[in-house]
Amino acid sequence: MNMVLTPEHTMKQPGPLSDRIRWLRDYYFRGTERAWNNEFTAWTTGTPWDVIYNELTFYIVPETYPLLATLGASYLQAARPVALAPDFWNWSLSERRAWFVRETIVNYVPQEILPGDLIAGARFNIQTSLCFTEAESQQWTRQVKGKNGARSKMKWFHDHGYGNAGATSGHLIPGHERALALGWKGIYADLMSVYNALKPQERAGAKGAQLRAMMTAATMARDLAGKYRLLCEKLAAAEPSAARRAELQTMAANLSRVPWEPAATFWEAVQALWFNHMLVMTDENYPGAGVSLGRIDQYLYPYYEKSLRDGMPREWAKEILKCFWIHANTAYDAMIRNGNQGITAGFGQLVTLSGLGAGGEDMTNALTYVLLEVIDEMSPILEPKPNVRLHRQSPDALLDKIVAMIASSQGAPFLLNFDERSMAGMMREARLAGLSHLITEGNVHEYAPVGCLENTMVGNDRSGTVDNNINLLKAVELALTGGRDLLPFTDPMTGKTEPIRQDGPRTPDAASLKTWEDFWQAYAVQTRCIIEKCANLYETSEAIRARFFPTPYLSCLVKGCAEKGLDVTQGGAEISFTTLEAVTFATTVDSLLAVRYLVFDRRICTLPELVAALQANWRGYEVLQAQAKNRAPKYGRDDDAADALARQVMELWCGETWRHKTRSTNRQFRPGMLSWNYWAGDGYILAASADGRMRGQFLSNAICPSNGADIHGPTANTNSVGKVLGGKAPDGGDWLDYINFLPNGASHTITFNPSILADPAHRDKFKAFLRGYAQNGGTALQINLLDPDMLRDAQAHPQDYRHLLVRITGYNAYFTTVGRELQNEVIERVSHRKF
Amino acid sequence: MTRHPAPQGTILEIQRMSTEDGPGIRSTVFFKGCSLSCGWCHNPESIRPEPQIQWLKTACIGCRLCLDACPQKALTRAANGDIVIDRKLCLGCGTCAEVCPSAAMELLGKKWTVSALADELVKDRAFFETSGGGVTLSGGEAALQHDFCLALLRELRARDIATALDTCGQLSAKALTDLLPYVDVLLYDLKEIDPQKHRAFTGRDNEKILANAVLAARFKKERPYPKTLWLRTPIIPEATDTADNLRGLGDFIRERLGNAADRWELCAFNNLCRDKYLRLGLDWPYAGKSLPEKSQMEELAAVAQSRVPSLAVSWSGSVRLADRAGGKNKTARGC
Repeated sequence: MNMVLTPEHTMKQPGPLSDRIRWLRDYYFRGTERAWNNEFTAWTTGTPWDVIYNELTFYIVPETYPLLATLGASYLQAARPVALAPDFWNWSLSERRAWFVRETIVNYVPQEILPGDLIAGARFNIQTSLCFTEAESQQWTRQVKGKNGARSKMKWFHDHGYGNAGATSGHLIPGHERALALGWKGIYADLMSVYNALKPQERAGAKGAQLRAMMTAATMARDLAGKYRLLCEKLAAAEPSAARRAELQTMAANLSRVPWEPAATFWEAVQALWFNHMLVMTDENYPGAGVSLGRIDQYLYPYYEKSLRDGMPREWAKEILKCFWIHANTAYDAMIRNGNQGITAGFGQLVTLSGLGAGGEDMTNALTYVLLEVIDEMSPILEPKPNVRLHRQSPDALLDKIVAMIASSQGAPFLLNFDERSMAGMMREARLAGLSHLITEGNVHEYAPVGCLENTMVGNDRSGTVDNNINLLKAVELALTGGRDLLPFTDPMTGKTEPIRQDGPRTPDAASLKTWEDFWQAYAVQTRCIIEKCANLYETSEAIRARFFPTPYLSCLVKGCAEKGLDVTQGGAEISFTTLEAVTFATTVDSLLAVRYLVFDRRICTLPELVAALQANWRGYEVLQAQAKNRAPKYGRDDDAADALARQVMELWCGETWRHKTRSTNRQFRPGMLSWNYWAGDGYILAASADGRMRGQFLSNAICPSNGADIHGPTANTNSVGKVLGGKAPDGGDWLDYINFLPNGASHTITFNPSILADPAHRDKFKAFLRGYAQNGGTALQINLLDPDMLRDAQAHPQDYRHLLVRITGYNAYFTTVGRELQNEVIERVSHRKF
Repeated sequence: MTRHPAPQGTILEIQRMSTEDGPGIRSTVFFKGCSLSCGWCHNPESIRPEPQIQWLKTACIGCRLCLDACPQKALTRAANGDIVIDRKLCLGCGTCAEVCPSAAMELLGKKWTVSALADELVKDRAFFETSGGGVTLSGGEAALQHDFCLALLRELRARDIATALDTCGQLSAKALTDLLPYVDVLLYDLKEIDPQKHRAFTGRDNEKILANAVLAARFKKERPYPKTLWLRTPIIPEATDTADNLRGLGDFIRERLGNAADRWELCAFNNLCRDKYLRLGLDWPYAGKSLPEKSQMEELAAVAQSRVPSLAVSWSGSVRLADRAGGKNKTARGC
């Protein structure tokens, strides 16, 4: 009856790698010891009122809150001036910004090529002036840092346990396929024809300014490529090795064409893709988080195939891609002196492989396998983060490769997306948001995930996939107290305790809630309120970003912006959602289940007694706490009654989410479940919960069952997840018979014992599990294959495990760099244990 | 006309996504009660047919609610805080488990109706279909609860779920004959060829077991079911782990079972169940025994293979740490 846990102290080793790639990879991992790096440099207009750091983009990263003021000040202090064009201050803000970023990256930031590198484009992390006039600077400062400004609102929201929200950069898939096919030349021509078609008064107004800014931005890649071409030529001239000289000459030739001209070869396409991608991070002053690449095995395939036909060896294609891989990792250099992890961990320049095609056919191709080999041979390494799209007809050969890679790594070196459930969600958002002309049965297969697993369309979609993170559990707390915090907030900096206020609606107090239905009603009212609060908070930073932080380069790569003459930050994308990511789902459901069980079904305690227990953090109520933990039902066990309540919770908060749009940019809110690392940190903020959790213990992660609750194993866990996402409707769902309430998708991690992959027979069973997951499960799955002994050893000897990757919610992290509590948490959930 | 009440079964546990109890992904139902009492048994809680209480020290919060609740006054608390169950007084009524807030008092063996159990078991149908798996009835000895076992097998067949029966073979020929038409995969234990030793190890000689093996093999050849027959032999230190035993079993398989068997698996002893014996207040003579060495498992498998050239012999289970490196078969299930 027992599975024997067998420790396997083997680390995945990279390779086989060429000397070139091994050197580049080793060099990268030398971190701060490197002579070269890609850390932020700061650049100013030189005005006394200059602002450099767009802090809004970090409002969803609570770890940075104490640093916001310091970072802003230190970038200013370190900033070097850029000589401005004579009529700079006569331009609109977006034109100033487009010019300033281009001027900085082309003419101020040095160009370098690392030894042996086949891809040009090294430094791209910059912090540039926001290019404000004095008046703009004053407005910005007031709106961000003022008494009722964005920063203080955001802090209140977070301090009181609601979660966080902020208009965040990245998190989309630019139109790379188009940029490769047309080149920037083609994009520029398109912009020009839109501009020329404007009426004179439009040209003189905001639309004209935006298009002029975009045209300026559209020449940035060309000008930078020109600089790198010169560098390649110079290096080639001085290069003693004939082989390397030839490489540098080809690189120079490539750069003389791309990314301005359409790419003609595989090498050119990968070179152009790197430039186009890297400059998004430059434009946004944001190192990579969620700036995703989409289905690279699909849109690079024609170039790959052509170059193969022209004689390119398959291994050479891998060599080029491996250089791209190294470059992607240098995004982490942005704040390298703070340690190569810390707040910069887990970026997620996501690449997508395989998946369905137009006619329901599988799109796995030869390049898919090339890319999987690259991932395998480069692993362990964080970026770019791969996501493999599976579906019910995924070929056995693909699953074999995937399972073999999972078996040889410490966990899956990629995320798995599941097409049918994901596409059902995309079709659902199209229907609910009136976008059925943009997301159709004919094109929904073109979707791809962003960041980790957040599903969007490609090249015309920015859906703000990490912008709003709400702790659903807060509504349970407020329902227990009639809309008041359970415990007063004490500021850790000042030690001052705030009085408790009536923050939420005045629902009946605990003593007056006589039935479960009464309680549910109060919960529903409070849920409506917390989601509205979140939407309002988001509006503050969304409006500021739309007014003050244009990204004209990125806007060139997102369909809709040119046509509407709107920056992508102003809702220019054809598809422009903002996503509300629910955190604490299982903790919320389990707390509601515990309330129902303890108070209304079994009458073990009264509601006021339960409130008192939570206020006391369960101290003195240990028996009640044990009952809540061990006797009350839980989500995640394939228990239909418990999962039915979970689905009720899901439908309620999703319904509330769909009620909101941003006022400044008219972006529709849509639901998802990502929960990044908030479920760990916010566990210290939120009071004890009715599921038996004490304050300071972790909350549940994304759509996963609470830690330790999934005692019936992976299939039961999977079934529960599929059910709460909507399950299947035999008479027709949103895609085939699938329903998916979360168009964004939901992060689901299952940890397996390595024995599941011990031999070919077991690997077949694991493949069958994945195929079963496509039938019954969620939108995205991460496989952890860990054993606790190895992790404890890694805690004791971190120096021996520097490259040990684990997955903590939607992103990878190096195990030794995450906090001790989170490490312990990972160890605890390695095996499915009973409480 | 009055109908017979639906039979109820006493079930120890349902393990979903089992990968060790037959082909594919399976849900395994552990029946309570066994017709043998093997000294090495890894599931001692499955031997007795009636429900039993166990106390999990690590889960106990020391609230003492169980002490007051026990109608038999069978529970006391030792000076070190341990709950002591007087097995002579305990009736296994489960009252203590009902009141225990932390699930430290556990009732081993719960009553299920066929339809409720089948409802639970069909939940993984998708995974059975993608893997070629199904439901395995194990134990204990599932066939000991004959009526329930038969009704459950029939119900699963009616719901189009593939079945496996994991049996020790110690049951009447009639009972086996009733069950086999509803069994897709028969997992059959052959432990020891020497009847005296078999009696010493398990409490019974092996006459019935060997005869039933012949019966099952004939069934498999002549009837539609069982479709698959897997033989399993636990390799227990200082008991079944002799070359003589493997030779004797191999000869029996070759001579008496014809080519009916599809595979023969040697399952290495494991000692993870020590705590279970402690919790049940039982001594376990095998507590001090160590895992077999990998080389020993390989040698025994070679001996077995030499007697049954046409049958695939494999071994599974954990082996001693020192020689584990490079071994492929690293996981075990209590055989």
